[in-house]
Parts: sequence; structure tokens; C-alpha cells
Amino acid sequence: MNAPLLKIDQLSASAGGAPVLHGVSLEVNAGEVHAIMGPNGSGKSTLAHVLAGRPGYVITGGTVRFDGADLLALPAEERARAGLFLGFQYPVEIPGVSNAYLLKAALNACRRQRGEQDIDAFDFLNLVRDKMRTMHIDEALLTRGVNEGFSGGEKKRNEILQMLVMEPRLALLDETDSGLDIDALKIVGRGINSLRAAERAVVVITHYQRLLDYVVPDQVHVLARGRIVRSGDRALALELERRGYDWLLEAAPAMA
Amino acid sequence: MKALERILADFGSPADAGPARLAAAEALSTHALPTRRDENWRYANLRALEAVRTFLPGPAPSISPALPPALPGYSRLVFIDGRLQPQHSLPDTALLGSLRRSAAGSADAGPVPFAFSGDGRFGLIARMFAPEPIALRVAGSLALELISITTAQACGSYLELDLELAAHAQLELVERHLGGAGPTGLSCVQVDLQLAEQAQSTHTRLLQGAPDALHYDTVAVTVGAGAQYLLRQVSAGAQTARSTIQVRLSGREARTQIRALATAHEAQVCDALFTVLHEAPGTRSDQLFRGIASDRAHVACSADVQVSAGAPGARVVQSLRGLIDGAGAEVDLRPRLTINTDEVQAAHGATTGRLDEDLLFYLLARGLSPVEARSLLKWAFLAEALNAIDAPALRRAAGQGAAARLADTPATELLQ
Ligand SMILES: Nc1ncnc2c1ncn2[C@@H]1O[C@H](COP(=O)(O)OP(=O)(O)OP(=O)(O)O)[C@@H](O)[C@H]1O
Ligand SMILES: [Mg+2]
Repeated sequence: MNAPLLKIDQLSASAGGAPVLHGVSLEVNAGEVHAIMGPNGSGKSTLAHVLAGRPGYVITGGTVRFDGADLLALPAEERARAGLFLGFQYPVEIPGVSNAYLLKAALNACRRQRGEQDIDAFDFLNLVRDKMRTMHIDEALLTRGVNEGFSGGEKKRNEILQMLVMEPRLALLDETDSGLDIDALKIVGRGINSLRAAERAVVVITHYQRLLDYVVPDQVHVLARGRIVRSGDRALALELERRGYDWLLEAAPAMA
Repeated sequence: MKALERILADFGSPADAGPARLAAAEALSTHALPTRRDENWRYANLRALEAVRTFLPGPAPSISPALPPALPGYSRLVFIDGRLQPQHSLPDTALLGSLRRSAAGSADAGPVPFAFSGDGRFGLIARMFAPEPIALRVAGSLALELISITTAQACGSYLELDLELAAHAQLELVERHLGGAGPTGLSCVQVDLQLAEQAQSTHTRLLQGAPDALHYDTVAVTVGAGAQYLLRQVSAGAQTARSTIQVRLSGREARTQIRALATAHEAQVCDALFTVLHEAPGTRSDQLFRGIASDRAHVACSADVQVSAGAPGARVVQSLRGLIDGAGAEVDLRPRLTINTDEVQAAHGATTGRLDEDLLFYLLARGLSPVEARSLLKWAFLAEALNAIDAPALRRAAGQGAAARLADTPATELLQ
């Protein structure tokens, strides 16, 4: 009943032959928002990718349970359908595949998982238009190729749009706030908040505490050199903004 | 006996052959067929010719073919094994009036090196054997669909078309090459198309022969001043297919745009040569090729653009891309650009690779299955070439044909 939605236990992983994650442990309960901060290259995106099931990483230790199931045993698409959403730090462009097609395919994949029928074309349009308004995305982008020629900010808002359409149990948002202007940041913040619910959780990876003004986290973690070196409440983000990471890195021994 | 000798022996010395046929046979025996030592034929499967049992055209077929639905606004001519089937055709009276069926064919055009000693030599076989060559002169505007069906008679199926567009004439030409399953023989097609000044033609070619067919076709186009030739070609048929296309931009400001795609799987071989000759000032060519080889298939495309000294101000755009989708699959792209004058603007690129893992993962992370994700990306890869076909019915048919030769078939809702 009270088991965490996501439970990462001593997770270690390597990428391209080099160890990147060194025993990460983290628990996220339903209803919570967590923020992960940390210096460049500390392993934040690696953690997100490993959780989402991207090929090319070798898990060298540890376990991850998501909603009670062994997450690492599932292929990427089943993790997504089970309700784990990754908002990409660098969303890719897919010319020739329309945004509308992808949104619908993603939604139907989730619906089938829940034993529901594919969405009717009319209902789909209504739903997407509604979410697009929330995200201030021009409807013309529906018929364009996925992220094709989108501005940096449009790509990030499009990630949140996909998230809103898929309604995941857990959203892992990798620097969705990077490169956004002030207004777009508010829009993205509002989008994330609109998903918050007792049965869902959000993990935002960010370099700036600014997003956390809009999406207020229950916990803040610092990932450095592949491990979580400190966790705290919102105040930790403010402290990091003031002091940087050096004081924490000195405390954390470098891995051999 | 080698294929060439057998072709000539099968042709014999027919008493009723007109001068064009005799000239074709003569040229073939003088210049022989290309071999893989020829630069432009390195990837063509010429050995397959040796297995052809007879080069003679088959007897009049008796089948009732399953034809695709009529295209609105188009006249239709149906050929089975090279023989015109009036009962299945839908010609309007204007078309019938201008149709000349004569073996004289293009003899009056005089020998051109492309056809007689160059890359167009395969067209000679079509000219020698075509039972009913078609010659047509278009003055106003015409929309014409030619359906050529090769049946499983294991004989030759030959088609020769000679089309001439008068000044300002307009031709929408659709060629569909289909085939029944079974041991089909050789299918050889020769198309000559001449556009006088300001004429316009969109030429859509769907090559969807039977899976074990042998198909060699030759298209020679001359584009006059201010005229425009648009080619859309979808090569998705036959065990072995080779297309040899030459577009001569012979008049000032003549233009061509080529959108071609090829898909092949299993052990199929699909090879094409596109030659564009810029011979006059201000001419433009824009060429795009997309090819996918799955399983152990081989897709090849040579694109040769030559800008002569007499073509200052020419503009050339060329984009060739290949996708390898099987452990034993192969794609060979050979772009060539020869420029013999100043003031030419040219943009070209050729790349071959496998499906992008980053794009695949993005789709998986949105819950799509690996099969769905892969087919979606392949579809996207072909989209630019396919979407150049305007008529929805044709585009769908072309898409279905192309999809049938992918390792995994895309969702039908993508075939819009
Ligand atoms: N495929 C790979 N091959 C080799 N090294 C890799 C690979 N993927 C990640 N790494 C390395 O792992 C380390 C962590 O990278 P990661 O992208 O997870 O960092 P990050 O914390 O997200 O950084 P940033 O804040 O810059 O986004 C880096 O040193 C990176 O170079
Ligand atoms: Mg990162």
C-alpha cells in the first residue's frame, strides 16, 4: 500500500565501457515531486536513460522497482506503457512522422495497456487541442514532422505536451527547463503541475532552481560523480544556487 | 550460347520487320549488351539474363487481368505481355485517333548514341520484339495511364512507347508495370519522350512486377526550351530490376525534377541509373532518390549529372539516401557531377546508413513497439519521394507496393 512508486536501490551502470552510476538509491512516492540537480557530466541523463530503458548501458548492480514491478526487466516500450515517461534533454527531430501521428500512437499504446480501445479520431483532436492550448503550442505544429524545425523552446513544450497526452504515473523530465524564456518556463511549470495528482509523481532534472519556484519539490537531491551525495528539501536548491557544488564535491570522494 | 547470341537468334531475320527493328538488331549485334565492366552497369544483375528460356514474345494471352481501379480523368491502355488489350482499355476517341501503331516507331529520330551504343542499349531488345509499339503525338493535353502486365508464361514481354509533346502540350503519363505470380520471363520496356518548348509532363512510373520477374527498362527524355519534365518512379517489383533513365535538358531553361524510391527485400536486386544532361543555358535539375534494402537485397542508384559547356547558369540539386535494413543487405549510391562551365549552382549529397538508434529509442520511449517504430521510421525515410506523387490513389498504390518489400510492413493508416 505504502510502497514507493519508484524505488532505486544501489543502481550502478556504465556507458561506453566507463562506469557512470555508482550505487544510486532513491525512493519516490506517489504524489511527490523530486528534483535532481548536479554538475555537468555527473550522470543525471544516464540515470534517466537507464530508467527509461535506453539500449547501450550496462547495469552493473542494483535494482529498480516501479509500481512494484522489476523495471529493469522490461523493454523500453513497456516501461513507457506502464506509465514511465522520459522528457528528453535533447528531443530528436523525426521528419516524415507527423506530430499528430506520434501523439496518437503514444496515446493508443497507453490505452491498450490499460485495456481500453483506441481513441476515436474526433476525441483525439479535442483532447490534443485542449492540451496544446495549455502548452501554448500552435496547432499548426500538429501536422509538422516531430520536432522538425521546432525552436528549442517549442521542442521542450512538445515534450510536455506528449507527457500530458500520455498521462504517465511517473514523469522523468531531463532539463525540460533549459533554454526556455521566462514565459515558456511558466507554461512548462503549469503543464507539469497540471499532471500532479495523488497517484502520480514527477522527477525533474534541472540546473536551475528557477523551475522549482513553479514546480515546488518535496525533495531535492544532488547527483555528483554518479552517486547521490546529498538530499534535502527546497532550501537545498537555494543553497546550491548560492554556493555551487564545490563544497559538496569536496565531501564526496571521487570513485576510482 | 550467351544471352546476346540467343536474343539475336530468337529474333532471326523476320521478313516483316520494319527498319526500326532491323536497325535495333543491327545495333545490338554491333555494340552488344553492357557488361558489369561498364561503369554504369556495375551493380546491375546481368547474369539473370542467362537464365531466360526464350526471348520471343509470348502468344496472345487469354487471362482476364485484375486491374487497379481507373484513375479519374485518365485514358487507359492495357497491355498484357506487350499486347494491347482493347477490351480492358479506356481510351477516349481523341487518343485513339492519334495512336499510331506501327513498327516504324522511332526510326525517323535517327540513331542516338544513348540508345544504340550507350546505356540505353537494353531498349533495343524492346524495340526488336515489341509486338505492338505505340507512337503518340500530344498536341493539347492528355492524361494517360498505361498498364503493362507480364503473365506467368515465361516468355518475353516487350513494350515500346514513343511519345512526342508538341509545344505547350501537357501530358500526365502513368506507367504501371504489374505481374502475376509464377515463372515470368523477361520484361523489357523502352520509352522515348520528347517535349517541345513549353511542354509539360508528369511521368509517374510504378514498377511492381512479380517477385520473380526480370525487368529492364529504358527511358529517354528530351526536354525543350522552357519545358518541364517531372518524373516520379517507385521501383518495388521484380527479382531483378534495372531502370536506365536519361533526361536531356536540351532547350534553354528546360527543367526536370526526379523523385525516385526503391525498396527490395529477400535476395532482390534493384538498380537504377539516372543521367541528366544539362545542354542549354539556365537549365535546372532536381533529383531525389531514397532506397531501402532489407534482408539480403541489393539496391543501387547511380545519378550522373553532366553540365556541358553550353549550359551556363545551370542549377543542380541532388539528394541520394540509402537505408540498409538487413545483415546481408547492401545499398550503393553513386552520385557523379561533371561541370564544364562556370556559373553553375550545385548542391548534392549522398548518404547511406542504418536506422538511427536515437530516433528509434525516442519512439520506444513513447510506447511504440519496436516493429511499429522501425516501420514508421522507414516510412518517414520514403515520405519525401512518395509524397511527390500527387494523385492519392496512385500514391497509395505506390506506398503499398513499396511497403510490401520492407522487412516489416507499416501500419496501413500511414498509407495516406
Ligand atoms: N554512451 C556513452 N559513452 C561514453 N560515455 C558516456 C556515454 N553516455 C554518457 N557518458 C558519460 O557519462 C557521464 C555522465 O553523462 P550524463 O549525460 O549522464 O551527464 P549529465 O549529468 O546529464 O550532464 P549534463 O548536466 O551536462 O546534462 C559523462 O562523463 C559522459 O561523457
Ligand atoms: Mg544531462
